[in-house]
Amino acid sequence: MPELGRFSRELRGRFWKPSVDDEVSAELAGHIEMLEQDLVAGGMTPEEARRVARERFGDPALIGAECVELGELRDRASSRTRFLSEWRQDVVYALRQLKGSPRFTIVAILTLAVGLGASTTIFGIASTVLLRPLPFHEPSRLLLVDEVNPDGQGFAISEPNFLSLAERTRTLSAIAAFAPRSQSIIGDGAPERLRGIAASNALFAVLGVTPQLGRTFAADEDQPGGDVRVVVLSDNFWRRRFGADPRILDRSIDLDGTRRRVIGVMKPGFDFPGGTDVWVPLAADATSLRGDRRLEVVARLASGTAQEQAGKEVEEIAAALAAEYPESNGAWTAQVRPFSEWYVTPRLRTRVLALLATVGLLVLMACVNVASLLLARAGTRGHEIAVRAALGAGRGRIIRQLLTESLLLAAIGGALGVALALAATPVIRSVGGTAVPLLATMSVDWRIVAFAFAACGTTGIVFGLAPAIVVAGRAPAGSTPELLRSGSRVASGGRLRGALIVASVAMATLMLVCASLVGGSFVKLMRTDLGFQPDHVLAASIVLPESRYDFERSAAFFGELMPRLAAIPGVQASGAVNLAPFSGGNTGMDFVPGSNLPVNPSQYRGASWRAVTTGYFAALGIPLERGRLFDRGDVGGTQSVIVINEAMARLGWPDSDPIGAQVTLSNGRTMTIVGMVGDARNLSIDSPPSPEMYFAHSQFPWLAMWLTIRTAGDPMSVVAAVRREVRAVDPDIALARVQPLDRLVRDVAAEPRLTMLVFAIFATAALVLAAAGLYGLISYTVAQRTREIGVRMALGATPGSVARTVLGRALALATLGIALGVVTAYGTTTSLSALLYDTEPTDHLTLVAVVVILVVTSVLATLAPARRAARLDPVAALRSE
Amino acid sequence: MAEPTELLHGTLDALVLKTLAWGPRHGYAIARWIEQLSGDELRIEEGSLYPALYRLERRGWLEAEWGLSESGRRVKLYSLTLEGRERLAIETAQWSRFADAVGRILLRPV
Repeated sequence: MPELGRFSRELRGRFWKPSVDDEVSAELAGHIEMLEQDLVAGGMTPEEARRVARERFGDPALIGAECVELGELRDRASSRTRFLSEWRQDVVYALRQLKGSPRFTIVAILTLAVGLGASTTIFGIASTVLLRPLPFHEPSRLLLVDEVNPDGQGFAISEPNFLSLAERTRTLSAIAAFAPRSQSIIGDGAPERLRGIAASNALFAVLGVTPQLGRTFAADEDQPGGDVRVVVLSDNFWRRRFGADPRILDRSIDLDGTRRRVIGVMKPGFDFPGGTDVWVPLAADATSLRGDRRLEVVARLASGTAQEQAGKEVEEIAAALAAEYPESNGAWTAQVRPFSEWYVTPRLRTRVLALLATVGLLVLMACVNVASLLLARAGTRGHEIAVRAALGAGRGRIIRQLLTESLLLAAIGGALGVALALAATPVIRSVGGTAVPLLATMSVDWRIVAFAFAACGTTGIVFGLAPAIVVAGRAPAGSTPELLRSGSRVASGGRLRGALIVASVAMATLMLVCASLVGGSFVKLMRTDLGFQPDHVLAASIVLPESRYDFERSAAFFGELMPRLAAIPGVQASGAVNLAPFSGGNTGMDFVPGSNLPVNPSQYRGASWRAVTTGYFAALGIPLERGRLFDRGDVGGTQSVIVINEAMARLGWPDSDPIGAQVTLSNGRTMTIVGMVGDARNLSIDSPPSPEMYFAHSQFPWLAMWLTIRTAGDPMSVVAAVRREVRAVDPDIALARVQPLDRLVRDVAAEPRLTMLVFAIFATAALVLAAAGLYGLISYTVAQRTREIGVRMALGATPGSVARTVLGRALALATLGIALGVVTAYGTTTSLSALLYDTEPTDHLTLVAVVVILVVTSVLATLAPARRAARLDPVAALRSE
Repeated sequence: MAEPTELLHGTLDALVLKTLAWGPRHGYAIARWIEQLSGDELRIEEGSLYPALYRLERRGWLEAEWGLSESGRRVKLYSLTLEGRERLAIETAQWSRFADAVGRILLRPV
């Protein structure tokens, strides 16, 4: 009876495995046959023997069925226990292996931690911004509705147009409008400026939210002339100001001098639009100006209708309105957009997707690096693996062993990576929160953890599989004795390793090109001449309550305040404007040159307008180019005057002097141009200045204004004095959003800054990874070739030539990688152009700089192993194993 | 010759384990050994041996592999595992306790 070794039994068990059916029937048939033979030998006839055997054995079919069932249970149980025990063996062995080569282990784990940490963080950003469902009922059925101006730009909606739309639409089941209306609360403590929203009563129904206390507006509280003196509080404001008073519904509060009954408190977490303290009824007025567009509109699709149908219907309604009201709606139309764009603009979506693509590259690089390290190591492990194969380990078993090692690496690296991501989350929240409001809510949730797990598993398999197959494929191929002799284990796998390093360098090149383009573009963005000097200017928002102020009183208020502010020591100039640069939003109006309304509405041109006090230009440093600024004579009742910027002059009077010319606005007023000032970028840094007209606040008073105060020193140092002067004029007026003007500018740049920062981090990580990969590869190559180098040196090669050979190989690989990366960059960076400002996607200087950086890095990474090779002692090298 | 006794339920497993304690055997040989060692006193329905073998294998008390018999036939050889050996000791102890108890009752003079 042959004794079979455990390993060959394992092997046999794996390669030749009869089905349980065959096993049972062969066994039972064998038994009956032997029984018959014995009976015949005992003197029976074959027929008799068959009958007796059958009698003594029982029914083979019945017995067989029972055995098959038991046999299948047995196989299932045994394969499970075998798998578990082998797996435990693999893990223990893998741990021992990793402990045995700490330098390799640390490099590999750090590489993976960087790659997986970065990708988990970025996935967290993407998940927060793009994937997290909005906290409203069926958010996918919500739409934003805009009017579209003759230039094709989305715009707010006027009150009459909103009412007409609400009345006529069939595809929208509910539609609501809202507009910011900041309020100051007076009494119950210090006056405080609140972020208020005037909303139509349908807003809460459209969003599908209910209050935690009380109710929201009733329809009759949202009518002009109705009982509009009610207010709904946000949970946050209710807690902050009233200590979550459960009897709040019995109270009324004084907002800008109007007592409003508190009728409801919204649930925690409901915050729309962002940062709202109180909601008051909008009470849209059908008799207000149809051309005065200030409302945002959100609507819910009727069930069974698609967004396209709604879009079409909204356009038709807009066309009908344009025909009915040509003066105000002439060339205007309307559009619908997905509600998600309120939070995530298409541009932001592009940015986040670009980030995701980049992070994918980074993880790939980490994988490639570790794979190349593993390959290099596998080369030196040929010996060990040949021994294992000789002892009976099958190819599958060896692959599994190597995969276990790489999965183990990935698990440790991944755990570190998740720790990195956890550490990075608060930083992202604070840096990114300004640019992307949703990011302020970023937290590590199950999606991010699931992603990290999936990423670890995938990377473990991806970077582990190639080396495992290469090594295991070599081991049992009959070369075992050869492998057991030393010396012949250098060459194989070398080409693949080389290819991996080339790929890694190419990716680093691509990342560096992207990062320097984005970075360069950001620097240009920051150096852009805004047309005004935002430094040393204090900005603060101030709102006069409608209840106590009309336009005349407002003009008087600012007329009195401005000289007081200018008299504060350290103040160089002071002004006021209805919208400070970059404070969000815009006010616009159509105009036509000349003193008559146009015959055809298409003759209108669009421009932004600002109501300013005359000191505004000096406070911001906007230069007067021609004519004059406003003076004391420009008051109500005299000829209305206007100052325009150069862009508006080019648009309206391309061939003539605009000073002294007449302008007719779409509200029917005609004004005289008295001055022209320089262009200022008020709305965004990266788009050219738009045509702009400035009205004198003394002629066109406005209740919600921004103070702009230029100071000699730190603008924040005059805040107390400014507050004092404001209180001296009216003790119930509060300042809000008090900050240096350049912070507003910085906030506008927060999104590109975030992009640049992330790209910079990526590029650095990529460069480090590429260098580490190159270093690792060359080090191992040198270690493997110790004997060969010894032979060469013994045959007369000088240390210099040895070092040159090593360096040469590294540089050849690096050069190939760089070339590949540059070519790829040429092909793909055009997709970056959405992120770039005034920068060509194929900027040659950038490419050259990147190439230089990479070549230098490659040389530095290879220097140490090359020196090590050159210093080898030939005798010791020849003796090495 | 008296009719051979039918096996008590549950004792077959113990007999199989005991048989294999002398070394690996195939199913047919196990059946013959039990017959011979019991002096032909015990008759098993030979087919029922196999479900018992599969059950014991599933419990991990036996191991099976295909090999060659003395006569050169391909047979499935069963051998006792370490756990099987321990099990045999338990079954033996249980059996002797059982036999003692039954014996004390049956052999008591009436």
